Amino acid sequence: MTQQLSLYEPKISEVLKNVNKVMVGKEGVTLLSMVALIAKGHVLLEDVPGVGKTMMVRTIAKSLDCEFKRIQFTPDLLPSDVTGVSIYNPKEMEFQFRPGPILGNVVLADEINRTSPKTQSALLEGMEESSITVEGSPVPLKEPFFVMATQNPIEYEGTYPLPEAQLDRFLLKLNMGYPTVQQEREMLSRTSGEHPLTTVEAVLTKDELIDIQNKVKDVYVDDTIRHYIVDIVTATREHEGVYLGVSPRGSIALMKAAKAYAFIQDRDYVIPDDVKYLAPFVMPHRIILTSEAEFEGHTPEGITASILENIAIPVQRTKHE
Amino acid sequence: MTLSRSQQQHYYQLILYLCGFLLFWEWMRPLEKVTDTHNLTIFVIYAAFCFFISFLQVNWWLSMPLKFLGLVFILDGLFLYERLFSKEWFLIVYQQFAYNFEVILAQSWGEITGFFRSFLFVVLLWLMSYLLYFWFVVAKRIFLFVLMTFIVITVMDTFTEYNGQWAIVRTFLIALIALGVSSFFKEMEKEEITLMGMNRLRRWVIPMSSIILLSTVVGYAAPKPGPQWADPVPYLESAVGGNSGTVGSGKGIQKIGYGEDDTKLGGAFIQDETPVFQVAAKKERYWRVESKNHYTGKGWENTLEENVRHVNGGDLGIQTFTDEVETEEQFTVVNFTNEAALKKLVYPYGTGEVVAYPEEFQFYVNQPTGEVETRKNDRASQIPGYRMRINVPSYAYDQLREAGDDDPEDIRATYLQLPDNLPNRVRNLSRQIIKDEDNRYDAVKEIEDYFSSSGFEYNMENVAVPGESDDYVDQFLFETQKGYCDNFSTSMVVMLRSVGIPARWVKGFTGGELHQSDVELDDGESYNLYQVTNGNAHSWVEVHFPGIGWVPFEPTKGFSNPTDFYVDTEGTGDGTEEEDSADSTTPETGNPQHQMEIEEDFNEGESGTGAAGGSGNFWKYLTFAIAVIGIAIVLYVTRFRWMSAFLKRRYKHIGDAATYQKAYQYLLKVLDNRGMQRKSNQTLREYARDVDMRFQTNDMKILTHHYERMLYRNEQQSNQWDKVTELWENLINKALS
Repeated sequence: MTQQLSLYEPKISEVLKNVNKVMVGKEGVTLLSMVALIAKGHVLLEDVPGVGKTMMVRTIAKSLDCEFKRIQFTPDLLPSDVTGVSIYNPKEMEFQFRPGPILGNVVLADEINRTSPKTQSALLEGMEESSITVEGSPVPLKEPFFVMATQNPIEYEGTYPLPEAQLDRFLLKLNMGYPTVQQEREMLSRTSGEHPLTTVEAVLTKDELIDIQNKVKDVYVDDTIRHYIVDIVTATREHEGVYLGVSPRGSIALMKAAKAYAFIQDRDYVIPDDVKYLAPFVMPHRIILTSEAEFEGHTPEGITASILENIAIPVQRTKHE
Repeated sequence: MTLSRSQQQHYYQLILYLCGFLLFWEWMRPLEKVTDTHNLTIFVIYAAFCFFISFLQVNWWLSMPLKFLGLVFILDGLFLYERLFSKEWFLIVYQQFAYNFEVILAQSWGEITGFFRSFLFVVLLWLMSYLLYFWFVVAKRIFLFVLMTFIVITVMDTFTEYNGQWAIVRTFLIALIALGVSSFFKEMEKEEITLMGMNRLRRWVIPMSSIILLSTVVGYAAPKPGPQWADPVPYLESAVGGNSGTVGSGKGIQKIGYGEDDTKLGGAFIQDETPVFQVAAKKERYWRVESKNHYTGKGWENTLEENVRHVNGGDLGIQTFTDEVETEEQFTVVNFTNEAALKKLVYPYGTGEVVAYPEEFQFYVNQPTGEVETRKNDRASQIPGYRMRINVPSYAYDQLREAGDDDPEDIRATYLQLPDNLPNRVRNLSRQIIKDEDNRYDAVKEIEDYFSSSGFEYNMENVAVPGESDDYVDQFLFETQKGYCDNFSTSMVVMLRSVGIPARWVKGFTGGELHQSDVELDDGESYNLYQVTNGNAHSWVEVHFPGIGWVPFEPTKGFSNPTDFYVDTEGTGDGTEEEDSADSTTPETGNPQHQMEIEEDFNEGESGTGAAGGSGNFWKYLTFAIAVIGIAIVLYVTRFRWMSAFLKRRYKHIGDAATYQKAYQYLLKVLDNRGMQRKSNQTLREYARDVDMRFQTNDMKILTHHYERMLYRNEQQSNQWDKVTELWENLINKALS
């Protein structure tokens, strides 16, 4: 298994290298997006406009030799604008299905919170079920299918915030953040000539990506690690400032992400470091605080961090295991 | 001058190790003084020899025989007269060992022969050379030994005759050098610096030497406050019932012990009610043990030539008064308790003869002092009990008053002695007190009464110890006025002598507590039973009256003289014979505070000779307990060291996951103990990074990766166990160094 693993490891590094060629100082986010991609998960990017969300997704898509689609969500967007519609073809005398943007491999759902819940749910259904319903009949989505949704945290007017239950559908929630002064200078110098995106070449085929996605499932998760995950997740439910803790889907997500992360690290087993590293991206958007806790200034991120502080790392095999 | 790194290392190690040896020497120095160890030089040379061989780090098959040969030569030179390695020689050695093992099994510690003790001592030196090599050179942990050296010297200085003044200075110097060099050496190792030649001289040799010299000189010259706690020794000695530091210091202690003890009077006492003996007597008496003649200004010595007579029962020949004194024949029975540990006879005034006693005992009577040692098989032993016929004296006042002061020359020569530097005010005071009296008896009574009437206080706790220039009596009379029987009795003797009245100081026991009255013994007479405890130990005064002999007096406040005095009817025409109520009242047994006083002297030096009673046992158990606790503490403190040595062997070849887990967890524990604690939320990798950072290695990371595979990947086998074992050992060594 180790051998097979290292077969793909260079390719994944290649993808990461590609993206980092375009993006300056975003190694962390790139790596996490990659984790979500090979874990068959989706990413919610929450950040202000203009920090390179779209650019990153496009670079990833281009490195993957995948079909890239983009949906710009607006308040008047209809579900059919996402899924596609059947149009009457007078020549053929029948309705023909014209696939919407959701039927791409890598989909950028820009400003997802600006559209109506109805349209949002069309996308979210696809993300969860790997298929969509068009005019009553199911249409399977392409494989691989990777959604990167962005939302703007500072504009609240005319937005339809995603319901918490639906946030659960995203494996990871990431923040891009502003580049540092130095990074920004570097960025300017890179974009002064030919845009680096044009030089990016595909390094991973669709089939290889699917293969990787299947292999990630085989990454070994020991009982000790499972216990650790459950300990963390349970702690969110028992935390007094938390109204709704991380769901069982959350624990599965954490484990899936950890497997993918281990895979990227060229390791065929999960270690607590993986879990500890990923929990701050997997958990906060699945936690709803009590209003008291919110008033007191607690945040889901802070609570996640404090829980990680307090849960002991398993460092030995106990007898009954 | 260029030295390679390893040469340089050797050079520092040599300095350290030399310091270690010098410190160890300081441990050996007091031995000659406080024990009966002789030929100390030979042992020091042997220790040096062992240290030298340890330092060379030659193979054990070379070093062991060398050290062993050294041991054999020492024992041969000191104890064996047979030709080395001859048949007789082996026989003697064998006999010695066989005998001593038997003795040890029988726990008769006092009977271990000098040969065997020396053997054990030499083996100890041998082991110390290993231990110090490990401490100083391998582990570079010097402070502990330095601290222990200081403690040993201070304890020796406080509790024994050993004077540690210079030893402390020497130790201080050596310790500073050792600590300085070792800390510098550690620093150099950590930073990987090498300093050579002049550079080294300038950078650290000169600064360090000057700081050490400066601090030594300043420390030596600086004024030091006096002791905060006058002298703990008497207090501690009394607290443990008088069994002080001379435990196990050899044979023939008894007399020396006595002589030494009373030379330094003063200090506090606490009560001890361990019963010493029970007596059956018609009435309460003082029980005499011995007298002392020579006052030193600090205490009492016996300077009279010994005149020991071996008496096999019968008349002991102790005559403290002449035939002029009227006596009454009585009998008395003494039974010692098991806790007594007193190998002397106690007897009342007028002892005629010992009439019944265990046959195997002999009595050795020292005529001048009246001390009677009880011996069994020619060794001083405690006699269980005996019956005495006594001629109880009673002194007529008139006879005493008319005795005059025409003392025989030998009495005057011995019992008027006073130290040259006795302050004059003592003599003046005595003259002042007796100025109106025209006869010896009344003068003595005046002085005796002086103590009960002049603001003196009976006290056992706040009793001063005379300083270097103080006189014990002078201090009591004019400064403290607080004390117990020794203060009162010594003062009275000195005062009497200062006005020309021969007197001596007597030790023994007061009458004890009435246990049962009117008990009929075998002879059909009825007796009172008294219980005499350690608290009844006492000292009083005997005054010489020409033609009458020695008459006891009791100056101590709160005590009264049980001796009978009477008014001669013929002389006064009074017609009735009556006891003088002031002098012959029975002591106030209801006043325990005064009765329960202890004198350490009687038990001094008598423990540890095997036949000790309760307090001896207590001491033995205490020593044992302290030893066990000490060993436990040492084992606990060094647990990681010996455990590691043990586990290293055990995990020599880590060959399966379970062992590996144990070994790894143990490593975590060791690291934790060495101040690198893993927080519970720290993953092993994060922790490994910290550890590697600290040790400047990569070992922990690699080891941890292996461990992760085993733990989180559930791998049971590895093809790299050897490497893992090596890394583990490295890390343990690093953690412990």
